[in-house]
Amino acid sequence: MSDYSPGSAASQGLAGCHVCFKTSPAELHECPRCGAALHLRAHDSLQRTISLLITATILYIPANVLPIMTTVQMGNSIDSTILGGVILLVHHGSYPIAAVIFIASVLVPVSKLVCMTWLWWSVEKGHKTSHRERARLYRVTEFIGRWSMVDVFVVMILVALIQMGGLLQILPGNAAIAFAGVVIVTMLAAESFDPRLMWDKLGKEDEER
Amino acid sequence: MAEGLAGSVEESLPKRVAEPVHGGRVACHECDLLLSVGGLSEGERAVCPRCGFVVSSRSRNGLQRAMAFAVAAAVFLLLANIFPFLSLETKGLESEMTLPKSIIDLYESGYSTIATLVLAFILLIPALVMGLVTALAVPLALGKNRPWLQPSARFLYMLNTWSMAEVFIIGVIVSLVKIGQMATVIIGISFWAYAAFTICFTAAVSSLDRLEVWDEIERLSS
Ligand SMILES: [Zn+2]
Ligand SMILES: [Zn+2]
Repeated sequence: MSDYSPGSAASQGLAGCHVCFKTSPAELHECPRCGAALHLRAHDSLQRTISLLITATILYIPANVLPIMTTVQMGNSIDSTILGGVILLVHHGSYPIAAVIFIASVLVPVSKLVCMTWLWWSVEKGHKTSHRERARLYRVTEFIGRWSMVDVFVVMILVALIQMGGLLQILPGNAAIAFAGVVIVTMLAAESFDPRLMWDKLGKEDEER
Repeated sequence: MAEGLAGSVEESLPKRVAEPVHGGRVACHECDLLLSVGGLSEGERAVCPRCGFVVSSRSRNGLQRAMAFAVAAAVFLLLANIFPFLSLETKGLESEMTLPKSIIDLYESGYSTIATLVLAFILLIPALVMGLVTALAVPLALGKNRPWLQPSARFLYMLNTWSMAEVFIIGVIVSLVKIGQMATVIIGISFWAYAAFTICFTAAVSSLDRLEVWDEIERLSS
């Protein structure tokens, strides 16, 4: 019995190109149509994904602890963190914006990390069920990832716009870099995860007792 | 990810479920099922019967549309860089930002990492993607083989994920509300130009069907 699901390209010795979708015999090692490297499954996909997920999780700590921006007003400087900013917005009654920042900077990156880790775990443990649900989860996770960059752009605009000489100035903090790092690394993790791995165990429910 | 967006833009196209075939020419990108999507006509999309991935979605006159939107996007992006983006007025003090100046200021204040990331995500990569769409759509629409077709297509689908034009627009709106509480913010011409750029960008990318582009490149180069 093959290691791959019935009907899959890999079960017939064909590798689907990840760049142009064409299938070619896996022995070619290089796609004849676009020149991309051919593998039945992305090389070291699981190891790369989990290393990137761990890196992103570690980066998420400075992203929350360090100030994302510093407000300098008449010589006094006040640091604000991502969560501090959200709390301040709630105090001022700007709930919609507080919600946008909270969703983009906390909810999306955290749930993306949790979902990707769960998908990784499901493949690592060889789950044989809920293929369609996992496929949908992967697609949503991949789609929403970049939206977390909102907060970094907000900082950049505030810094550029609020330049009132010595009266009021806003400076970007190191959390902005760490946070951009979280977004980039999780996007790389989603990219290095080969979704085809989720389907390889399809139709194998009865094989093992 | 932009493909996900493109997928939702093309959601209205009639759906055809691709047929699984033994020894097929195309494998589903997400579940590796061998498929046949032959005979897909303009205005139809093919969906993987197993995982639901949109394997191909052909807009009407896709190449011409991609070309037109890419050219329009280039014009809007140029406009977005020469006029004021936002300006601020409070207690008689004024401050104005343009996109290039705000990035240069970040560099000059020593925040070169942030400046580089912003420059890449909102200007360089989107501009490059539009250039690549044009470089592909024009020869393909004319039916001419060009040596840059293959590398352009590879580069396009690699870069596309990293363009964050629409995310930037949301960032601007959030900033507007944040600052709006303490000062009057005037929205400049460049803001509208960049918003129009985002729309044209999305339309241009979603008009190019990845599978069709590669099928055409293969046909022209053989
Ligand atoms: Zn290929
Ligand atoms: Zn599929």
